[in-house]
Amino acid sequence: MIAYLMRRIWQMIPTLLGVVLLVFFLFNWVGGDPAYVLAGKMASPEDIANIRHQLGIDRPLWEQLWIFIRQIVSGDFGDSWSTHEPVSQIFRTRLGPSMTLLIPLMILETAVAVLIALLVSAFRGSLLDRSLMVASTMVMSISLLVYIIVGQYVFASVLGWFPVKGWSQQLSQNLTTYAVLPVLLGLLVSVAPSLRLYRTFILDEVGQDYVRTARAKGVSEMRILWVHVLRNAGIPIVTNLLMGLPALLTGAFLLERFFAIPGIGREIILAVERSDFPIIKAATVYVAMATLVANLLGDMLYRVLDPRVNLD
Amino acid sequence: MAKRLIILLGCVASLAYAATPEKVLHLELSAAETGFDPVATSDLNTAAIEQQLFEALLTYDYLARPVRLIPRLAATMPVVTDQGKTWVFTLKKGAYFCPDPVFKGQLREATAQDVVYTIMRFMDPKNRSPYKFLVDGKIIGLDELGDEARKSGRFNYDASIAGLEVLDRYTLKIRLKTTDYNFSHAMAQPMYGVVAREVIEAYAGDTASHPVGTGPYRLGRWIRSSLIELEKNPNFRHELWDFGATHSGSDPALGSDPKIANSEDARVIAQMKGKTIPQIDRIDIQVIEESQSAWLSFGKGELDMIGLAGQFSPMALTGDRLKPALVQRGIRLDRLIDPSIAYYFINQQDPVLGGMSRERIALRRAIFMAQNDEEMIRVIYKGQAFRNAYPIPDGVEGSDPNYRSVLNYNPREANHLLDQMGYAKGPDGYRRLPDGKPLSVRYTTSLSSQDRELDEMMKKSLDRLSIHFESEKLKFPEIIKAERQCRVQMRLSGWIADYPDGDNFMQLWYGPHIHENNGSCYQDPVWDRLYEKTLTMPASLQRDKIYRQLARLLELNGVTKVSTSHIRNVLSQPWLLGYKAHPILPSVWSYLDIDDTQRPKP
Amino acid sequence: MTTTMRSPGLWTLAWRRLCRDRVGIVSLWVVAFYFGVVLMALGGWLAPDWTREVGVNYAPPTWWMGAQESEDAPAAPTTAQANVVADLYGLQDPLASEFAVMQAAYPNEVGLPPEPPRMQTLPLGGDKWGHDVLTKLIKGSQTSLLVGFVAALVATALGTLFGAVAGYFGRWVDDAFNWLYGVFTAIPYLLLVFAIAAVLQQRGVVTIILILGLTGWTGVFRLVRAEYLKHKSREYVLAAGAIGASNMRRMFVHILPNVSHVILVQLSLNVVGFIKSEVILSFLGFGVPVDVVSWGSMLNEAQNELILGKWWQLAAAGLAMAVLVTAFSMLTDALRDALDPKLKQ
Repeated sequence: MIAYLMRRIWQMIPTLLGVVLLVFFLFNWVGGDPAYVLAGKMASPEDIANIRHQLGIDRPLWEQLWIFIRQIVSGDFGDSWSTHEPVSQIFRTRLGPSMTLLIPLMILETAVAVLIALLVSAFRGSLLDRSLMVASTMVMSISLLVYIIVGQYVFASVLGWFPVKGWSQQLSQNLTTYAVLPVLLGLLVSVAPSLRLYRTFILDEVGQDYVRTARAKGVSEMRILWVHVLRNAGIPIVTNLLMGLPALLTGAFLLERFFAIPGIGREIILAVERSDFPIIKAATVYVAMATLVANLLGDMLYRVLDPRVNLD
Repeated sequence: MAKRLIILLGCVASLAYAATPEKVLHLELSAAETGFDPVATSDLNTAAIEQQLFEALLTYDYLARPVRLIPRLAATMPVVTDQGKTWVFTLKKGAYFCPDPVFKGQLREATAQDVVYTIMRFMDPKNRSPYKFLVDGKIIGLDELGDEARKSGRFNYDASIAGLEVLDRYTLKIRLKTTDYNFSHAMAQPMYGVVAREVIEAYAGDTASHPVGTGPYRLGRWIRSSLIELEKNPNFRHELWDFGATHSGSDPALGSDPKIANSEDARVIAQMKGKTIPQIDRIDIQVIEESQSAWLSFGKGELDMIGLAGQFSPMALTGDRLKPALVQRGIRLDRLIDPSIAYYFINQQDPVLGGMSRERIALRRAIFMAQNDEEMIRVIYKGQAFRNAYPIPDGVEGSDPNYRSVLNYNPREANHLLDQMGYAKGPDGYRRLPDGKPLSVRYTTSLSSQDRELDEMMKKSLDRLSIHFESEKLKFPEIIKAERQCRVQMRLSGWIADYPDGDNFMQLWYGPHIHENNGSCYQDPVWDRLYEKTLTMPASLQRDKIYRQLARLLELNGVTKVSTSHIRNVLSQPWLLGYKAHPILPSVWSYLDIDDTQRPKP
Repeated sequence: MTTTMRSPGLWTLAWRRLCRDRVGIVSLWVVAFYFGVVLMALGGWLAPDWTREVGVNYAPPTWWMGAQESEDAPAAPTTAQANVVADLYGLQDPLASEFAVMQAAYPNEVGLPPEPPRMQTLPLGGDKWGHDVLTKLIKGSQTSLLVGFVAALVATALGTLFGAVAGYFGRWVDDAFNWLYGVFTAIPYLLLVFAIAAVLQQRGVVTIILILGLTGWTGVFRLVRAEYLKHKSREYVLAAGAIGASNMRRMFVHILPNVSHVILVQLSLNVVGFIKSEVILSFLGFGVPVDVVSWGSMLNEAQNELILGKWWQLAAAGLAMAVLVTAFSMLTDALRDALDPKLKQ
């Protein structure tokens, strides 16, 4: 177990290095030179040279790369080029809102998806199964952009059920007021894919021998589904959730922008627009690390919970 | 929608009881702020907030039009002698910085020495200030300090230079190298708001999050790029709202007459006269990037005031009038002409389009003549702009409403011109260069959806001439970089007045400003000599005469086509008192009040 | 398909199973309809020129009752002005002689060439320029389907190639590809898109296809690699090796047909995913160029039109896309069930 863990952690290093190199060269090659914008409306070439010097983008590439690697090791990515805010602080303050949006979204999504998945599995092949699957496919087929534009207009403005936008510093107020509509809209597009996945997980389990044994023993169909099947299908569901989390972190930018939520996705778009390299670098490294760790945890969990999987 | 909203607001309002003692102003910003160290500020959104946090020596009168400078931190207007080369400023007494731990509980008054320090900061290479140009090369001895710092790596703030002389605690004498009548405008910019040296040094490296100024407000709660709260500066001196209406002349573009304008002013004066500044206790500013969100928010009364972007004006306006549904709700519309221009330019150094041969000039002029400004105004700006062919917009010293362009929309003439110059059509139906080489025009725009409309517009224009359209999409920083390096072939650019003087616009085509902000990379000795003559002239008829020649030369040589100027529409809720849009001031919040009895309670 | 398939009846069986699936058949018809429309558009029989401005600006749909309520001011006709009679302020016009010649050749010609009359209403309404939304919708289907399909082909081909090589050869080759897979999945998708878009520079349909293709191969890779790992030690492959079949032949002639059902389902999933992604790319500014229309560009344009009360473009593009994506997803399900009957009870 420990050996396996060590090996996996060791394997992360080349991957992370690859991420670092790829991002560094992609963004250094084409990512732009913010000096001209930072210099303002009437800057002279000397001013621009001065700014490039201050930002360190006039140094040779290998030296910049070395600085980047040192930053990763020390965890200090310096200050944002456009706002002078320490990068670490940017991520510290933006993580909360992103999580306030994403955790309820994931919990609701999982609960709804698992419930419906169990329901349709119990009646697999029936009209209910088919119509629910068709309905979920339809709901999923509409672009999130359309949901947001229409949803904000109808529910927040015309009907006035929710505030149009906003964010407060109280978690409770955010959860009960500001995050509600974005979470619901996010749910519309995210439930269906999970539902489809979980349905296959559950159907996989339903075909297993232990289910047949249980059925032969006369255990009720409901108990089989809710206790036996769910316990086993729960393993891929949980790992799937865990592994999906880092991608969600940056993926909610549409919601964040339209509902003025100070999250990470919006910050990254802003950074790219401003060619704010320190933020881009940090975002890449943080998200890459989170992804790797989540994958590792997912695998570990899978292996710990499922005795059929061999650790080596 | 509007009807339901009214009912909703009505219900909510009837639930309201006693007004809360605290008055809060709710506002939005369309783009994130960039930190509150004035020396590092370059955008209008941040400047709007800094205008409230810091005080420059001068400012613009709230009501007077055309705009007029008045003292702010200065007690009186400066005494200018020596043909605009020596400026003596006297500061107000009792202008205290807002409380900060650095002051250890002591009251800290702003002095002449602080002004010197504030100006010096702009030349410190470490600060890489975007608004350095307002003092760069102007004050005796200051540039040398900057050069020295670039070599030694440290700016000597203790140096005393001839250009910045402290006469006593409240008096400062500034000596300029050459005559510059616009220097007073520089001293009215919010970026030149006065800071205290000990604060800047105590927070070195993080000055952007510790704005300590003498303004009516100080920074409260701040969630970066999301929420900015301003609260009253408890140390702000006692100052009364005292502005008088001084309208003269009418705005032809807005079709307003001075009588109505003066009655609007009378309303503002009646609402505000004699009140202490500021009346509003807290200003709550949210960053909302998507216009739909901002507009819907305003509709629900979550925002007290909103700048209506041109493309959204049909929601609130029919032509130049507020929709009846909004009028019924008591919402007010403020219109003014933005002191800005939108202008096409073509790179004069471009191998295909540039150069001064007659063929090239004809080609450029034909391209300009194919631009349908009226359609642009109607379809893209939804009528909230007007054709302005003169480089200096209305409301800025030196503008000329009677100027007639020679680059008006006329596709027939443009095609005849191209035919005559030998730009024959090839077998594919598109024109080629006279020597038979392929011809296409590369148009540079940003990735925003509004710029996509500009692409569509340009594609149509070039189709009219049977010239190939090529699109170059770049992020904004990349556009600026390409422009500075003379790599942009053609672009629609914009310029908004830093200060209301024609020079701020005419310098856009000055030869030595290539690689700075002369994006057309135009260098013409005739033009440059004429322009240099205007530099030492005060605003006058003689200067206007030269400006007209300069404008005409830009057209005749096919360098630029000034296309439009825009109308700014600001909507405010009925409970907002004392609001009048100002063309130059980035924000006027300290001059406002709120009647909370009218505001619907949540 | 190739002749060496072990179970020659697989595709026939699958087809028969698909035919029994009613939802699958309906979906197939819907998808076929879209493809028919796209082919007609490609051939120029349908929507030959969407750039023609046939209606007034924001022409409402013909059948919509709310159309009469419009209180927008009527558009003023554009005027043209002669560019010769202006004060030169004592300067010389370098083109004075040319204008003199023109003046003589075309006297009194000031106005604009006459424009054909514009429709007040259009079947599905018009956009801000007066383009017919129906025409745009058809042309947009062409682009979106093309983008989705070609990008899915690119992504699937890449994923299959990498997956096959990695799974078949194993060892360091596998490690190398796994590393690449790890890198691509670890970078935030958003940043990867921005970076690749910036590298590709030239903005056009090809750029979008490449962005989607280069970021979308990872899912296919994972599955195909797993399949190849399973298959490479199966008897039929070993037997083929024994009679001297080269690695290439074993990989692509022997194994590939046996994993093709996995690939086909992935391809189909990718098409759906990419059609949706194109909308988001448009939102980020990496959409199609202005002389091309797609559902993404339409939705983006329509983004601000809803609050202006001009809902028709948003509705049309949103609905057209939703119907196709639904049908395609359900077809994919049916396909999966038909190809892999084990999954179905």
